[in-house]
Amino acid sequence: MKKILLAEDEEVLRMLIVDTLEDEGYQIDEATDGKEALEKIDVTDYDLLILDYMMPQVTGIEVIEKVRKNPNKKDVKILMLSAKNQQSDQTTILSVGADHFMSKPFSPMALLDKVEEIIHEN
Amino acid sequence: MKIKKHLQKSLSMQFFGLMLRVVLFIIIGALVIIFSYRQLNEYHSNQNELLEQKEAIIKQIDNRFNQAFFDFRGYFAFNNESLKEDAFKQEEKIRKLLDEFKRVENNTEDHIFYENVESYLNTYYRDLIPEAITFFEQRDRDNFEALANDGGTKAVNAFKNDVQAYRNKIDDKIEANYELLVQRNSYILIFVGLYLIGIMFILFQLTRTMFKNVGKPLSDFAEVANEVASGKDADVAIITNREDELGKLSVAFKKMLTSLQEKEQDLLGQNEELIAQQDELEAQRFELEQALSNLKRSENNLRDRNEFVKGISNSLDKKNVLDEIVVNMCKITQADQGIICFLDDQSYAAYGISQTGKQQFLNNLDNGLNDKLIKYKESFTVKRELIDMEKGFHEAKSYGYDLYLPILDIENEVIAVLVLSRFGSAFPEDQMDEYNGFAKQISISLENIQMYEQSEEDRNRNQDILNTVLEGIQLVDVDGNAVQVNHMLCQIFGCTEASNRIVGMSLDNWSKEMAQFIEDEDDFLAFFKRVIHSADSEATHTYTLSNKNKIYKVYANSLYHDNEKIGTVFVHRDITKETEVDQMKSEFVSTVSHELRTPLASIYGYTELMLNRELKPEKQKKYLTTIYQETKRLTNLINDFLDVQRMESGRQTYEQKYIDLLDIVKDVVKTQKLATSIHEFQIDVETQDTTVLGDKDKLKQIFTNLINNAIKYSPDGGNISIRLYREDDHMKTSVTDEGLGIPEDALDKLFSKFYRVDNSDRRTIGGTGLGLSIVKEIALAHNGDVQVASEYGQGSSFTVTLPVVETIVNSESLSPQSDSKHAYNVYIIEDDQHLTGLLEQELRENNFYVQSFTKAAIALKQIKSVVPHAIVLDLNLEAGEMDGWEFMRELKRLDVPYSNIPIIISSALEEQDKGFQLGVTNYFVKPYRSSDLSRTLLQTLLEKEKRGQILIPDTKKDS
Repeated sequence: MKKILLAEDEEVLRMLIVDTLEDEGYQIDEATDGKEALEKIDVTDYDLLILDYMMPQVTGIEVIEKVRKNPNKKDVKILMLSAKNQQSDQTTILSVGADHFMSKPFSPMALLDKVEEIIHEN
Repeated sequence: MKIKKHLQKSLSMQFFGLMLRVVLFIIIGALVIIFSYRQLNEYHSNQNELLEQKEAIIKQIDNRFNQAFFDFRGYFAFNNESLKEDAFKQEEKIRKLLDEFKRVENNTEDHIFYENVESYLNTYYRDLIPEAITFFEQRDRDNFEALANDGGTKAVNAFKNDVQAYRNKIDDKIEANYELLVQRNSYILIFVGLYLIGIMFILFQLTRTMFKNVGKPLSDFAEVANEVASGKDADVAIITNREDELGKLSVAFKKMLTSLQEKEQDLLGQNEELIAQQDELEAQRFELEQALSNLKRSENNLRDRNEFVKGISNSLDKKNVLDEIVVNMCKITQADQGIICFLDDQSYAAYGISQTGKQQFLNNLDNGLNDKLIKYKESFTVKRELIDMEKGFHEAKSYGYDLYLPILDIENEVIAVLVLSRFGSAFPEDQMDEYNGFAKQISISLENIQMYEQSEEDRNRNQDILNTVLEGIQLVDVDGNAVQVNHMLCQIFGCTEASNRIVGMSLDNWSKEMAQFIEDEDDFLAFFKRVIHSADSEATHTYTLSNKNKIYKVYANSLYHDNEKIGTVFVHRDITKETEVDQMKSEFVSTVSHELRTPLASIYGYTELMLNRELKPEKQKKYLTTIYQETKRLTNLINDFLDVQRMESGRQTYEQKYIDLLDIVKDVVKTQKLATSIHEFQIDVETQDTTVLGDKDKLKQIFTNLINNAIKYSPDGGNISIRLYREDDHMKTSVTDEGLGIPEDALDKLFSKFYRVDNSDRRTIGGTGLGLSIVKEIALAHNGDVQVASEYGQGSSFTVTLPVVETIVNSESLSPQSDSKHAYNVYIIEDDQHLTGLLEQELRENNFYVQSFTKAAIALKQIKSVVPHAIVLDLNLEAGEMDGWEFMRELKRLDVPYSNIPIIISSALEEQDKGFQLGVTNYFVKPYRSSDLSRTLLQTLLEKEKRGQILIPDTKKDS
């Protein structure tokens, strides 16, 4: 079973994504902010990280930066969700090392397709 | 012969010849002397040497002979054979010496001496000694002794005497020789003396000849030259017999003399002519002097005039110029006193006049002689007897002369009078024209001053106007020099006295001066350089002031005069606000979009899931609930955004009604209670009167936001206490929770838009970040405020402050009362009869006196006979008739009290803004409760009465 970490501070969105993916047979770990996400990444090997851009304390960007610097984790796939939809924000997200990017609001079905695509790349 | 002739031609050659001869003579003489002296000495020394040689030889012979003699004697005495041999050896040596002598002998005497010695030697060695030896060996003592006594000793002695005599002779000869030398030397000395005398004689002769041949003729020439020079007649003899320079000189001198004499004759002739001319010149000079003195006089006049003009044009200050005029005019006219005085403002300047004199003159400015002057506009003089004071110490009768001069303006009207006085002597008649000329000059300069004052006034006014403008203005000429700036410009560039500092500076200087306050200097400088030198008429540039962090935009506009560019006007406008607003707007849009996306994402996502998946009913319910909540959240967000937007743009209107704050708080608590089960609510009322004036819905919004926040930010529940109390003139309401509290550094920013305290325990609590900024806006709009006090982790307390309302009647008394003393007269202008009926009934029940009109125009007419206390006005009236807007405009155009009558709009139109702009007191949008109208009317009129603005009710109509 493929393991995915979801870091999102909005509870309703977290629930939405979990519901969407769990039904398709993914195992989802949840984190409510970046700090918690980093702690979980440290102890578990995930196939994919789904990170929100704006999170309290440690933002999604900071999580990516830390993960990419960690030699054991640097190859993990990362999908970033963001309500920030400006060209400049997207550039930042991809330049710090996210593999994919989806803007809010997003289609859960499209998210599912994307996740499957990423997972099967491996 | 040829050489001699050549020599005669040149003085220097002659002199050379003479000197040659003299030197030759001296050299020969010296040689003769030296030679003879040397000859003499040589001869004598030779002589001496010879004599000494002879003497030496003789001496040796003598010695040898003595030796031989002694040796023989020794032999005879001691019979020593060796001595005999020695004695015979001596003979040979003596003979050698004798030969030597023979070689040097040179006279007979010597020769005789030689022969004597030789003979004696022969005798001694050949006769005497052998005989003696024979006797000695034969021991013939007697013969031996006889021989010795007889001949032997005798011969020896004779020889010795001879030798001695000869030696003496030689000594004598040496002596004689020396004496001869001395004698001859003295001859030579005498000769040297004679020789020197000879030389001196020759030199003397030489000098004499030189003098005679050169000096004399030259001094003759000098003498003649002197005589000629001193003007005497003189002649010089030509030295014909000489061919040298002097000869030539004499010829030339003669020629020169002759020509000089001829010239002198000529000169004498000319001199006479010159004398005649001189006489003529003298006459002309006299004429010239005459003319010169005339010139000098006019020059003095001109100088006076010049100084006068300079004096009065030096200054543009009226007082100074008047002083200059009067002082200079007195000087020019040689007057003793003078005064000049303007007719209009009586400003004047006087010279030599006492205070009372001046006052007297001013008092009679348009009387007497002044009057004459003003009327006829022509100068005149007056002769009068001097009074004692003016006469000084003189006793005799004397006269003073007054000159009256009119000063005219361009319209030939007298604007000032100039009076000058002279004691004792009259003003010369021939100067009158000149004095009038000066008067003209004065007119011009006074005219100038007036023009200057006028233009100065205009300029100051323009500058004042410029200074009131809130934008920096700067005028620059075509070369870039700063011509004018206003106050604001100085302020922008941080200089108080800058109008003086920047004005007059060149482009480089002022732009650099200004650029030091700018962040991007180079662009700033380049802009000015480009604009000033370009033909473009318009350009702008934006810059930031580094110290004040303000953004300015400078607009350049070319200034034209007769189609020619004469400069550039720069207007510096503070666009900080605009820029900030722009920035805020884009930030706002960005944040709004971000805030909207989150609930949208939920709604979108759950809806899609529901559409695409088979879900259990529980899940469906759960999803729908979520969608519902997120939709609510979205709605709240949008409402908040719109509120903020409306408040910020100033379009939000607030009702002004008396409201019981306690009711509002209770209402809100009731609603909010439903949303929580873990919070306890407590309301403390510490004041009797909780009435405030304001907008009920907005005040409700304040407390909804505050209480909602209190619930949200105390997630663990606890008490939420609301306290209403009065403090001074303020009605205060505090909402206190026991929740998370607010970090100290966040307190400042708490009320700014979209600010949210960012930490994890709060993040899960939703919110737009707009609630508190809305609270603040509403409180401020009610002339109130909101404060926060909080301790992080302990809870927060928000206090809303609103102004206290003094009500004459408390809220209960607002209810209808039939015995009320107040009977207010109200007009209702309304075309809807049904509505009019309803309103009339309501108002009458509340003790108002009501008059209804369907046509505004009739009401307007009526208003002048019965003044209502208030008017209830519909806006849309019957078509073709005067509508509510027109009525209002007409009314406001009337005087007080009509224009002051409170107007309450009752309309279906939502044109509150326009209504309030026109000055309506209250605005009701149909449909509304008629009780609200009567209540508002009563409140308005009570307020007005309290302020003393209410009209005295018309008692006649009241009944």
